[in-house]
Amino acid sequence: MESTALKFQIKEPKGLSPRIAWLRDYYFSGVDRAWNNEFTPWTTGTPWDVQYDEISFYIVPETYPFLQTFRSSMHQLARPVKLDPAFWSWTLQERRAWFVREVMVNHVPQELLPGDLVAGSRFNLQASRCWTKNEAAARDRLIYGKKGARAFMKWFHDHGYGNAGATSGHLIPGYERALTAGWKGIHEDLKAHYEALGESDRKGEKGAQLRAMMTAATMPRDLAAKYASLCRRLAQKEITPSRREELAQMAANLDRVPWEPATNFWEAVQSLWITHMLVMSDENYPGPGVSFGRLDQYLFPYWERSISGGMDREFGKEILKCFWIHANTAYDAMIRVGGNQGITAGFGQLFNLSGMGPGGRDMTNELTYALLEVIDEMTPILEPKPNVRLHANTPDKLLDKVIDMISSSQGAPFLLNFDERSMAGMMREAGSAGVESLITAENVYDYASVGCLENTMVGNDRSGTVDCNLNLLKAVELAFTGGKDLVPVIDFMSGKPGKITQDGPATGDATKFRTWEEFWNAYVIQTRFLVKKCVELYEASERVRAEFSPTPYLSTLVKGCAQKALDVTRGGPELNFVTIEGVTFGTTVDSLLAVKYLVFDKKECTMAQLIQALRDNWQGHDVLQAKAKYRAPKYGRDDDEADALATKVMDLWTAETWKYRTISTGRQFRPGMLSWNYWVGDGYVLAASPDGRPKGQFLSNAICPSNGADTNGPTANANSVGKAMGGRAADGKGDWKDYLSSLPNGASHTITFNPSLLRDPEHRGKFKAFIKGYIANGGSALQVNMIDADMLREAQKHPQNYRHLLVRITGYNAYFTSIGRELQDEIIARESHNKY
Amino acid sequence: MKRLQNLNTNIGTTTATVLNIQRMSTEDGPGLRTTVFFKGCGLRCAWCHNPESISPYPEVQWLEARCIGCGTCVKACPLGAVAADGRGIHIDRSLCDGCGACARECPATAMELLGEEWSMDRLVAEVVKDRSYILNSDGGGITASGGDPLVQAPFVAEFFRRCREEGFHTALDTCGFIGTPSLERVMPHTDLVLFDLKLSDGAGHKLHTGHSNSKILENLVHVRDYIESHERPELWIRTPVIPGATDTEENIAALAHVIEGLLNGAVSRWELCAFNNLCRDKYRRLGIEWEYRDAQLLDAALMERLANVARDSVTRPEIVRWSGATAGEQAAGDGQREKKTAATHLVKGCG
Repeated sequence: MESTALKFQIKEPKGLSPRIAWLRDYYFSGVDRAWNNEFTPWTTGTPWDVQYDEISFYIVPETYPFLQTFRSSMHQLARPVKLDPAFWSWTLQERRAWFVREVMVNHVPQELLPGDLVAGSRFNLQASRCWTKNEAAARDRLIYGKKGARAFMKWFHDHGYGNAGATSGHLIPGYERALTAGWKGIHEDLKAHYEALGESDRKGEKGAQLRAMMTAATMPRDLAAKYASLCRRLAQKEITPSRREELAQMAANLDRVPWEPATNFWEAVQSLWITHMLVMSDENYPGPGVSFGRLDQYLFPYWERSISGGMDREFGKEILKCFWIHANTAYDAMIRVGGNQGITAGFGQLFNLSGMGPGGRDMTNELTYALLEVIDEMTPILEPKPNVRLHANTPDKLLDKVIDMISSSQGAPFLLNFDERSMAGMMREAGSAGVESLITAENVYDYASVGCLENTMVGNDRSGTVDCNLNLLKAVELAFTGGKDLVPVIDFMSGKPGKITQDGPATGDATKFRTWEEFWNAYVIQTRFLVKKCVELYEASERVRAEFSPTPYLSTLVKGCAQKALDVTRGGPELNFVTIEGVTFGTTVDSLLAVKYLVFDKKECTMAQLIQALRDNWQGHDVLQAKAKYRAPKYGRDDDEADALATKVMDLWTAETWKYRTISTGRQFRPGMLSWNYWVGDGYVLAASPDGRPKGQFLSNAICPSNGADTNGPTANANSVGKAMGGRAADGKGDWKDYLSSLPNGASHTITFNPSLLRDPEHRGKFKAFIKGYIANGGSALQVNMIDADMLREAQKHPQNYRHLLVRITGYNAYFTSIGRELQDEIIARESHNKY
Repeated sequence: MKRLQNLNTNIGTTTATVLNIQRMSTEDGPGLRTTVFFKGCGLRCAWCHNPESISPYPEVQWLEARCIGCGTCVKACPLGAVAADGRGIHIDRSLCDGCGACARECPATAMELLGEEWSMDRLVAEVVKDRSYILNSDGGGITASGGDPLVQAPFVAEFFRRCREEGFHTALDTCGFIGTPSLERVMPHTDLVLFDLKLSDGAGHKLHTGHSNSKILENLVHVRDYIESHERPELWIRTPVIPGATDTEENIAALAHVIEGLLNGAVSRWELCAFNNLCRDKYRRLGIEWEYRDAQLLDAALMERLANVARDSVTRPEIVRWSGATAGEQAAGDGQREKKTAATHLVKGCG
């Protein structure tokens, strides 16, 4: 027995039926489960075969030392699959489509957990890449070696620029079509496109692509048939009549969907799940950012039909709760990693609730509330991740429900997205990328969010929302040195310092700059270099994926791919973007403000003295460091002068980003701000910064002010963020109405409040006013944390009692006890700062 | 001499000595508010939660946690009032005239000037920044607190006029110990008065606050009469519940008698605010011995009992609320379970 009592109440699930309670408990028993959804590797049997595609993990620096190990281990463990005799005569996309279908339908076992109402269990694969010897060798030449993608990626990261790589997931497939047309409809459509091809096209790449997509489109049908017979077998053995009936009904459902259009709610959820899980199988990627879009909108007709046809509302929720459990099994991919059954942070199978519709109408419906109840009853659980869309016409009933749920959890059990600012970003994108015919004032409200808060259109859009993560701060460092690293990179194996070389443009000797403008101009040139370098790095992996890693199944769900007969990895979607997520924004702005203040405005030190202090990591420069930290102006205080520089920094790097497209696939780069956990890790990579931050201290997170800089409270913080994104147009001519946004992707903003703010109805009303004010003044997305520092300290002391304590970092959820001590301390420091 | 000049500039309408501005305040009246803390108060309540607000003059304080020990403040002081030794920085209050040179020079903002001159235009510009939040809240607005803002009544009157012109609700948080003309000047621009009522017994009042409550009661009657003839402002009474001073059932019952008898239904809310010991550090920094230094938080049960006494003694029990931090983890307020109440930077209003 634990002697330490649970001192603070953690949100517990409630109102769960025995069925769901069992499934949930079973899920959380993790590695002790008899059944799990760990990766299973499969091979064509060739000695050169590859399963693990490292490119998807170039944005995860923690994996860099193990890339080769993963590749080799997966190959060693892979089970052989008997190939079709014609296999090696097919094109790569046809081989791959056949192989994934073969593995999913005929090799991976089909299972159903007791009581489960939704079929579709194992889906995490490491399937053969199906390369010929020549293909494998050609790809390796692009990956390995001094000029290979891997070395470039390592260089970029080790020198503090950030990271980039063509990553899987992170889009909203056209799921609604699978429900309304069924896979039969999708297949017919593909066939029509294929038959419309001319003779030579049919024999060429286009024909191969459409044949591969047709093969892929039969995978859900064939897999559903397997699950249908499983349900029948189980029904025969079942002794409880009610369960026997359920199993029979599930078999009947699976006879219909996902091949045929869904006719009721149960079928729709079943169809959606199989359709969704196979995206993860196809990409060999356990779900990050494969998002559902506006779930309460496209499931609503089925919900309404079933409810009016006599479905018990609670049974409808029960189906959804089974769907919830399924979504969480994505984590099983790495179930043996880390201390919490591999469940560490949200993968971001995101869905949106509510939001604006045509003419600014609010789209909240009965299913919105039912889904909120499911979230409330299941929380804490990580997947699927909800994001509630708010706007000026959001009904008070929804806001009150949202705030009630925030007050009973440790933080919002969902992200909040703000339609006006988000749609302004999408309209800006339409203009900047020349896609005004695809994103219009009439359809922009149909946008939805990917992963956490990354806004995209739905079903025709791949925006690579986590593919490029650029440390804007590096440009400040290069402005000091005229394009060289300020401090050498230390090799982590040998401990030896590397050589410092002229990496960026030579912008001159900063110690000779006589005005702030000269320094700013150097910063501008270095920022241009930074963006260009990031684009080049991305190309290095994008071209490899485009040539060697088709995903024909996913391509069937993204509009444009069938029409162009082009894979999603090759630029098939109607909307093709790559997002550069600007990291370290607050630290960058504060650093520039500090240079201006210390060297030019107040002349507290010379440029040479400041550079020396940074080289010394502020050691021995206490007074100057204190002035940098405490006296220099900061972003996040609603100080118009400081925020004006924030806007200038924003305008500069976003304008640079719009200048580029990928060469191999023609995808337009677009800006956003999300920092995942890079603001933590890269704090140890980037040199000391002029805002007083030593190397080893965290950077600012996404669009948030630097930790502790927001001394004027949440409203000032939110106002600064809104201004940095563009604010509102004085003349009323914004991107969407009078709203402006420089970031179509949106930006992650986290504010932590003390739970006492929501202690009674009166105070919940006050918080609602804050949210309404945020709609008018703030950014595109907000993560509300409601935790007090005492609870977090208690959880550090007794982690075993707080396993389910969820906290939100940059819109990505994590169990507090599963994250590193440094980050825990950081969260506590952040929380303690806000005494509201 | 210098101090008098400072004070003289503060009784006009162009500038004021402001201690702090707290945005998104949830504890100083209805809705979301921006609270401006004005310096200066006539009372000397032994438990005062904001001792730095009592003097109308600027004062400096040393924040130990921020100090890097560089000694800049010692050199910066033109009067030799700042000294450093192994234990820290010492300010000789008999020499310091609050000029703020040390605070302006301190690299780490460890020396802080309490009381900054704000012009009317700058202050109005500051409070309108939260318009979107305030106007979206139920009854939200601007609160003048302190100290007692009526010490700078001409400025506050004009400030409130400007705030209402901007569409904001205005709340005056006062201890009521001020010449009636100051009150009269601000009342026409005020939508809500948060009036502190501590002790019913005049002798006890003098003992604990330095002054009898007769002037306070007189002003309270003035507010009542004003309300009767103008049908506004709204009136809330706030009573700090202080161990050994105001925390008796007799006192609460007697205050209820004042509210019922004297104020005749003019009061729409009566808040009992539990004693807060978070200001220990403030006293230490200002070099003041505080007799409540070791006083503990009150029990939630006592607060609930006193609130019941209050409810039983007034015609409309629903006007009674209690709030504040209490001993133990959970405190019941307004009949609901709640976590211990957060301390805001300044805990004025009740005390």
